[in-house]
This record gives sequence, structure tokens and C-alpha cells, in this order.
Amino acid sequence: MNKFLYGKLTPEAIPHHWYTIGGTVFIIITAIALIIYLTISKRWGWLWNEWFTSTDPKKIGTMYMIFATLMFFRGMLDAGMVWLQQSIAADSQGYLTADHFQQIFTSHGDIMVFFVTMGFFFGLMNWIVPLQIGARDLAFPFLNSLGLWLTIAGGLLINFFFIVGGDFANTGWLAIASFSELEFNPGVGVDYLIWSLQLSGLGSLLAGINFLVTIIKKRAPGMTLMKMPLFTWNSLCAMVLIISAFPVLTATTLLLWLDRAFGMHFFTLDYAGNQMMYWNLIWMWGHPEVYILVIPAFGMFSEIVSTFSQKPVSGYLSMVWAAISITALSYLVWLHHFFVMGAGPDVNSFFGIVTMLIAIPAGVQVFNWILTMYKGRVNLASPMYWFIGFLIIFMIGGMAGIFMASPPADFQVHNSLFLVAHFHTMIVGVALFGIFAGLTFWFPKIFGFKLNEHLDKRAFWFWFIGFFVAFIPLYLLGFMGAPRRIDHYDSSTGWQPLYITALIGYIFISCGIFTQVYLVLKSIKQRKNNLDVSGDPWNGRTLEWAAHSPPPFYNFAVVPPIQSHQPFWDLKEQGWKPEQKYHDIECFKNTGIGIYISIFAFLAGFAVVWQIIWLIAVGLVGIIACVITLSFDDEMEYVLPAEEVAKIEKLYVSRVSYDGNG
Amino acid sequence: MKTKFLIGIFTIVLAVIGIAFVLTSKHALVFHPKGIIAQKELELIITNIILMLIIIVPTYIFLFAVVWKYCIKKDKAKYDPEHSYGPIGELIMWVLPAIVVVIMSTVTWEITHKLDPYKPLESEDKPLTVQIIALNWKWLFIYPEQGIAALNYFHIPDHTPIHLNLAADHSPMNSFWIPQLSGQIYSMAGMRTQLYLMANEIGEYTGKAVEINGEGYADMTFHVKSTSKNDFETWVKEIKESSKNHLSEKAYNELVKPEVNKSVIFYSEVEPDLYNKIIHKYMYPPNQVL
Repeated sequence: MNKFLYGKLTPEAIPHHWYTIGGTVFIIITAIALIIYLTISKRWGWLWNEWFTSTDPKKIGTMYMIFATLMFFRGMLDAGMVWLQQSIAADSQGYLTADHFQQIFTSHGDIMVFFVTMGFFFGLMNWIVPLQIGARDLAFPFLNSLGLWLTIAGGLLINFFFIVGGDFANTGWLAIASFSELEFNPGVGVDYLIWSLQLSGLGSLLAGINFLVTIIKKRAPGMTLMKMPLFTWNSLCAMVLIISAFPVLTATTLLLWLDRAFGMHFFTLDYAGNQMMYWNLIWMWGHPEVYILVIPAFGMFSEIVSTFSQKPVSGYLSMVWAAISITALSYLVWLHHFFVMGAGPDVNSFFGIVTMLIAIPAGVQVFNWILTMYKGRVNLASPMYWFIGFLIIFMIGGMAGIFMASPPADFQVHNSLFLVAHFHTMIVGVALFGIFAGLTFWFPKIFGFKLNEHLDKRAFWFWFIGFFVAFIPLYLLGFMGAPRRIDHYDSSTGWQPLYITALIGYIFISCGIFTQVYLVLKSIKQRKNNLDVSGDPWNGRTLEWAAHSPPPFYNFAVVPPIQSHQPFWDLKEQGWKPEQKYHDIECFKNTGIGIYISIFAFLAGFAVVWQIIWLIAVGLVGIIACVITLSFDDEMEYVLPAEEVAKIEKLYVSRVSYDGNG
Repeated sequence: MKTKFLIGIFTIVLAVIGIAFVLTSKHALVFHPKGIIAQKELELIITNIILMLIIIVPTYIFLFAVVWKYCIKKDKAKYDPEHSYGPIGELIMWVLPAIVVVIMSTVTWEITHKLDPYKPLESEDKPLTVQIIALNWKWLFIYPEQGIAALNYFHIPDHTPIHLNLAADHSPMNSFWIPQLSGQIYSMAGMRTQLYLMANEIGEYTGKAVEINGEGYADMTFHVKSTSKNDFETWVKEIKESSKNHLSEKAYNELVKPEVNKSVIFYSEVEPDLYNKIIHKYMYPPNQVL
């Protein structure tokens, strides 16, 4: 009976360590404070009606970014704990046990990849892609809401062991088999990881389909594929990768779970399970995944450099084809993650050479970015700082990547800290710098006022210097024979000074983060001085700058005509003014079904982790009931009459001073 | 501006000196190879770095020049928004990196075949076969020809090709790495992987596991000692005569139990065909003892 009621959730199964207790207390106190604040200020209804149930991609985008920011703090805390441990654990165990240390870097990896980087990108895409292509909404507004809430459900589940207790996976972010099998990992940690990724992976897949269809079908009249702005192009490429790669993740982790829950033998050591198969499958998803993290950033940088250089992006056609080639090549390189598995030299050389081929489109992009500045009139605003910093770091990371693509060289640095340094170079220097650049660039569009330039530049310097201080030592540690993921080591290895240097770099980066927090607060306070009334604060080139800042929920009252890949620039040159003739606009109603489905999915996920059969049933039945309810809802759209549009537009035009509350 | 610039240059110079200092110190194992394979791999590493610098350094110079002229001193620079190099310019941009990649690919194809870990080394001496089992969390070295074994201790004669046969038992995927002698190879349960290496000189090194496998992962290291052939023979003789420690099935099954065990143990006698039995046991239902 107890087994039926509680599954594996017994008092013995949920050990509480100091860190889970600390996490629990923090989460509960924050939650209580939030609840009290919302109740006192009577904001529950507002939160539910205006935000949680919203199907407006702009609001969903903002929620994605708030969620990603929260997860970013969690991920950074993990990073600090890892580095602190490694700095002090010479000839001693440090302050963490091996198991706890391993749990921390595992959750650091998963959180940073799935919830922070992807969260920010989906947030920015939700905001910018529809505006750039002149669409009023995404193709499937409801799916968009569902995707967000499934991602959040996954994010909750990955943090939920803090509250319930138990352990997280200690397997590394990919849950590598056979280490993640029951033989080595009998606890529920790996199940938490699997089901958190299942939920958020489903969310990403839905979002991917949504954006793909949106970009293909909802472009403004006249915008052919080759007139799409580069951020949209790169987003399209990333979405193609998501749609084709994420099902592989779902299937692979599901097979792993079947092993764990039903004693199957896909990846076990015994009964001829094949652990090498897991490595192949997970990296067939994993390599496209890491490109999903950087390709949108390439697009953002193309937009930024062209806007601030007051010049069209150099070699638009080459840039498009470069993005497409990187997308295509990313499917053919997964084996370079395990050259040392004993594949023959023919196989290894093939994958090594294909990996090197990626240097060609990447090189084309770098040349074109620099050439865009050439003979331009560059305004060194803070997004350009992030851009130039990115270029400098990207070349180092690319060089390290090509270096490791040579199998015999990889034999000497595989799974060492050199590798860790390489992919952090890419993810911090490309993806994260891209996110910061993009956020600064589009902030006035999103919130209606600019960020404080001075503080943003200061944050940049902290990040930029911190990056080198933190990650160059890791490259060197790789050459010193330091494996990744070790919780302690002998001081005779001579590694400690470099680990400490890396920790100092982390402190620099933390200062950067504090500066960014201060930056946002200060900018909100000073918003009256930095208001963007025109909607075009940077003299932009693409369509999003033709909209008001912040745009009304229907984006454009009149969709502007498209002539090239920088439509707004053409319009400005021709002195185009939007017509005052408005039409009825079809809008999508808010719906809470996305949240309900995600709540049930979360319950089901949690129940699967602990094998509580009845709760799984509740979750599944709930999901199905929600879908049925939704399918009977015939009136999901409503029509916004032209007079109403005219009224809202008039409000925008007439505003002399904008008070920030819309 | 000028002082900031000078501080920047100074920091970069300091960093380069620091990097050079670290890489030349004896702790930079990959840069101080003692084995023929590690030596060749280092040569490749340096070739690769030079090839890439050939394209990276001019790009950096171009980047900084452009940033200097069009960002910092932009008032004096010419502004030409229509500027472009046309299709020919674009083509050059594709061709330039392609040339470097073609060169690197050729190098890669050649060297990957040359440094295939499964390829026997050319030498007049007959290779010494060693069978290595990765256990949680220790390494077992079996010398089948000598009939001895050692735990966490890898003794090899120098200037002799060593043929390593690796496998794992009740341990997930491990990567075997002695940075100063050769690159890595995985050791996996139920199958054999191979690696050839050869020490160039007498010395002591450290080997390690480089793939996460649980609690004792960081402690899964072993000593490597390369001595002259005569000393190696003496060592084998000593083990065979001095300690009467038999690595029987029973003793082996004790070893398999997961445990952090950094001690060095020598076995004067080894169960015949132990290595093959360990591999073959994964062909049968689980938990069946040897």
C-alpha cells in the first residue's frame, strides 16, 4: 500500500544534506515573501490575466528571460562552488564530498544549457523574430505559451530535489551511460535529470516548431527568404536543428529511463547493453544542441555590427550560406566528442576533417563582421563592446576547437580541462556575450528605455577580463594533464595556483553580474532620461525598429512594405510614413490551458521520478482532459476593431512624455 | 586613453610571459613528453597551433586596425556605406579559410593514420603485452607473458614497444591516460581496446582515469615507472620470487568491489587467461561470478 501511495518516496530515500536544507530554506523564504508582496499589492489577478495566461509572444518572451535570469543565478552559484572546491582541494577533500561536487557540476551544466542559454534565446526570439518579419503573432500562440510553461516545469523539476530531498544526478550534464545506469546510480538523481530534460526538451521542441512555421509562413508580404534579416535567418537555422535533434534526446533519455525503471538493457554493462551506443546517440543530439546555443548569437551580432556601423552587413548572401552550412555540418561531427573510443583512423579522420570544415563558414562570418565595420561610421555603444569582445574570444575558441578536431591532438586533451575551457569559451564568449549584446541592443524596444551605457561598459570589462582570468588557466591546466570533473588532487601536480587564478576570474565575472543587476535597477530609476519615444533609438535597419517601443500587442498597425533585407532603412531613406488607415486585427485570446497542462506534466514527471503510479495517472489524465477542453474551445481569437487600433495608435503618437507604465 | 592602452599592452605581455612560464615548467606534462607517441602528438599540437596562428594573427591585426580606424579614430576615417568587394571578394573569403582547412585536413588524415593507437610501433624489440583492467576505482595491470600482475602500478622497460590491451569490469567507461607517454584510449567492459606506447627514457610518471565514474574518480590514479630492460627483468623476477600473492578468481572478485584503493599490490601468480574471462563474462547473465 505504501509502495502504491508513495512509490520510492520513503523517509530513508530523501536524505537532507546541508545544501538541500539551505536551498529549501531559501526557496521557501523567497516564495513566502513573494506571496505576501503579491497579496498586499493585490497583484494576483494582474499576474494571472496579464502575464501567466498571456499568448502574446512579447510577454512570453519576457517571462522566458525572467526565468532564465533566475536560473542563471543558480547556475553561477554552482560554478562558484565548483571552483572554490577545486581551489582548496589540493591534498585534501575540500569542503564538498566527491558525490556532492559531482552533483553540482552536473546541475550547473544542465541549467546553463537548457534553461539559461536556451531560455534567453527563446525570450529574445519571441520578442524580435515576429517584429523582424512583420508578423503580428507566432503561428501557434497557444503552443508558445505551452512551450514556456513546460520549460518552466522542467526547470522546477531540476531544482525540486532541494525541497523534496534526495540527490541530483552526479553523471555530468549528459547523464552518460553506463554510469547513469542503476548499477552505479541507484538513487533518483538521474531520474530527476531525465524527466526534467524530457519536459523542457518537449517545451523546446514545441517552440522550435512554432518558430519554424512562423518564419516560413508569417513573413510580411514581399519578404522573401533572401530578404530576411540575419537574426531571423540564424534563428531559422537553430530551429531546424532543434526540430531534428531534440527528438533524439527524448528518445535516448527515454531508453535510459527504460533501463532504469524496467530493467531493460539498452546501455547497461551486462546482457550485451551497449554503452557506446548511448554516447553516439546523445552526441548526435548534443552537437547540434551546442550549435543551437551559438547560431542565434551569430545572427544577433550581424544585426548589431551592421546597425552600429551605419552600413549594411557585408556579404549578406555569404552570411546566410555560412549559417546554413554550419547547420548542415553540425549533424556530421558528433563523433569528435569521443575520438578515443577506439574507432579506426578512417572514421576518426572523417569526423575530424568535417569538424575542420566548419572553420570555413565560421571564417567567412568573422571576415564579414570585420568588413562590416570597415569604412563604416562605427558608434561604439555598449552592444559593440560585447561584439568586439566576442570576436576576440570567438577566434580563440574556434582555434581551440579546430585544434581538437585533429584526432591525435585530441588524444592528449580529451576530457581534460582544455576541453572545458574550449566549450566555455564558446558558450560564455559567444552565446552569453551574444545574449548580453542582444539584451542591451533590444532593451529599448522591449521596455521603452535604454540601459545605462556607462554601467554596461563597466560590466563588459568585468566579464571580458574575468573571462580570460577564469578560462586561460583552464587551457593551461589541460596541458598540465588535469582531467575535468575531479574533486581533489595532489598538490605535487602544480595545478593549485591555476585553479586559484580561475577562481579570481570567477570573482571578476561575479562583479560583472552585480554590475549588471545594478545596471538594470539604475536604468529603471533613470528611465525618464533614456526614454525611447521614436521606437528607433539606434538608427536601426530592420523592421522591429519600425514598431513603437514597447510595441502594442498587435506589433504593427500597418505592416510596412519590404524591399530588401534591411526594410526599415529603405523606408527611412524614402521618407515613408505609415498610413493612418487601419484595419481590423485578429488577435489571440489569453488561455490558461498551457499552465494547467504544464502543472499536470510536472506532477507526472515528479511521479515518474519517484515511481508513484497513481500520481502518474493523475498527471496523464489531467493533460488529456486539458487537451480535450481546449479542442472544444471554438473562439480562441477575437477581432480588434479598426477604431480601437486607431485609438491605441493615437495614444502612441501623442505621447510627449511616456511614464513607463504604458 | 594612452595610459589605458599601455596598461592593456602591459597586461597582455605579462599574460604571455605567464603562459610561457607555465608551459615550460615541468608540470606541463603534455609539453614534456617522455614517450615516442606523446612526442609525436606534441609535434602535431605545435604544427596545428602554428597553422592556425597563420590565419588567426592577421585576422586579429585586421580586426584591431579596423576597430582603431573606424571606431576610435572614426572622425578622420572615410565613411562609405555602399562599400563592398562584390562576388569576387566574397569568393576570396570562402577560399582563404578553405585553403588552410585543406592543408590541415591533409595533415590530419596522414597523422591520424600514423598515430592510430592500434598500430604496432616499429622497433627491433618484440612488444611487451600488458593487459589492463579498469575497476572502480583502481587499475589492474596483468603481464600475461611474465605471469605476474600489479595493482595501481605500471612498470615498463624503456625503448620497448608496449602493447596495451584494455578492458573494464564493473566500471563504466574509463579513459586511460599517461600524459607523458601517450594520448588516451577508453577502457570498456565486455570489449578490448588497444594502445601502443613506448617510453624514451627512464623515469616515473603518473597515469589517471579521465572519465567520470563515481565517488573514487579523482583517486583513480596509478604510478608508472619506466626502467632499463635489465631492471625490468629483475623487477619481474623479484615479484615472482618474493611475494607469494596469488591473483586467483577469489582474490580478483574481492578486487572488483567498488572501493577507493590507492595501495600498490603485486601478484606473483595470475589466474590463467584472466583477461579473456573478464571480457567474456559480459556475454553471460549479470552478476555471475567469474
